[in-house]
Amino acid sequence: MNPVAQPLVQPRFVAPSIVSDSLQVEGLSKHFKGTDKAVFRDVSFSINEGQSVALIGANGAGKSTLLRCCVRLIEPDSGKVSLSGEDLSGKSGRALKKARNRVGFVFQKHCLVPRLSALTNVLHGNLAHCSGPRNWAQSLARQEDRQRAMDCLEQVGLGDFAYQRCDQLSGGQSQRVAIARALMQEPSILFADEPTASLDPQSGELVMELFARLSRSRNLTVFFVSHHVEHALHYADRILGLRSSELQLDSPSHSESTASLREFYA
Amino acid sequence: MPEPSQIHPAPPLLRGRFQRPSWLSSGLFALFLGFFLWSLAGAGMSLQSLMQGLPNMGTIVGEMFPPATDRAQPIFEAILVTFQMALVGTVIGVILSVPMALLAARNTSPHPLVRYVTRSIISFVRTVPDLAWALFFVVSVGLGPFAGTLTIIVDTIGFCGRFFAEAFEEVDPGPSEALDSIGSRPLDRIAVVQIPGALPSMINTGLFSLEKAVRSSVVLGLVGAGGIGAELAVSMEMFRYDQAAFIIFSIFILVYLVEHFSSRMRERLLTQIR
Repeated sequence: MNPVAQPLVQPRFVAPSIVSDSLQVEGLSKHFKGTDKAVFRDVSFSINEGQSVALIGANGAGKSTLLRCCVRLIEPDSGKVSLSGEDLSGKSGRALKKARNRVGFVFQKHCLVPRLSALTNVLHGNLAHCSGPRNWAQSLARQEDRQRAMDCLEQVGLGDFAYQRCDQLSGGQSQRVAIARALMQEPSILFADEPTASLDPQSGELVMELFARLSRSRNLTVFFVSHHVEHALHYADRILGLRSSELQLDSPSHSESTASLREFYA
Repeated sequence: MPEPSQIHPAPPLLRGRFQRPSWLSSGLFALFLGFFLWSLAGAGMSLQSLMQGLPNMGTIVGEMFPPATDRAQPIFEAILVTFQMALVGTVIGVILSVPMALLAARNTSPHPLVRYVTRSIISFVRTVPDLAWALFFVVSVGLGPFAGTLTIIVDTIGFCGRFFAEAFEEVDPGPSEALDSIGSRPLDRIAVVQIPGALPSMINTGLFSLEKAVRSSVVLGLVGAGGIGAELAVSMEMFRYDQAAFIIFSIFILVYLVEHFSSRMRERLLTQIR
């Protein structure tokens, strides 16, 4: 069976019409020192609450940098980023950390602590809101937090693996634990940087299906980077494309095709 | 018919093996050889003295057997004190090494200046020999095991501080970046990413440190810093080689048990942590 040809979850082609902006990016530019070319310049777009948006582009187009600039993990040179109407530009220290509390981030490499159990790793998502030893290990956690972490693992289908060490999980399972950690945080927007890049097609499909299901059930805004044009077409409401340092594509996914998106990589 | 060398030409590496060494390499080798021969004289190496000493060695070894057990109880008590010094010194040293290492590691230090200063302190502590620290503490706090314990604490900080810092620097930065992206605090990231990530290496270093402390605490007694070393020094000075043999045998048992225990602990802990 070709998992791409028969997606497990039908795409949601219709974006909500009267909703507030979850993420607003205005005139964002980034240029790394020692290079002549800008990574991207004057990028502007906004993502509505509950919308699922894919960002595509060739290797080195600046997709991951753009994603990181949105939460200022990388400092942009200029431009403005607002999360749920709150401008991140002038924030630093504690204010920036507080703003980041609402942003879940799933990385290409799942970025879990390998020696710790899946449950403990999921519990770490709570550190966004609550600092201290209670969220350092599942054995120290409050009963309700432990239960919530278990629920998050159940949602990603890994309830039976709660006490398994993360270095004993497969790539797909690890990525699902990373998603459960993001859910534990209860974010309003979820960023995913090539979440399926290191996974086999079937595991990748499961992860993308999970994103779609969570986006639908929790009205969660999802902004993901992907090289799989099929994923962008099937799981995103809208597709953004970076090429030649500029945002050259911003289109509803239903108006694009595999061929048109492949051309974007040419 | 082709020549054999035409059929199987020598590979480039093999041809390189027979190249004449450069003048620089030959000069450096000659310099090293000269310095080594000079060092032989400086180190007092003498075959004649060794041959003359052999009968004495035989006499001493002969007098060591059978080992005397008449002072077994005070010797066992001194062995116990030696182990206690090593254990307390190592545990306190390891605990103090963690914050020092966090300040000294590139990825956890709050500021480059703090890192530089902490690294310098750790380097200084490590490069001063433990016997020098023991003499310093004996003069400062008096004869006895406390001076030895302080020496082991300082020695452990020098040893573990460096290796813990390197272990922290080698931790995969991914999980830390992931938690940073959600706004977690640095202390949380240290507790849930850095320490668990470096823990296997820290356990290894800590247990090696205990083994090292047990061996060095034997020697510390020779300068009055408590433990079995003092007993050994007295026995040798009083020509009670049979008693010295019993002490050496007891030290061997102690060191063997600690090393055996430490490798068993290492295996168990490294498979259980989660």
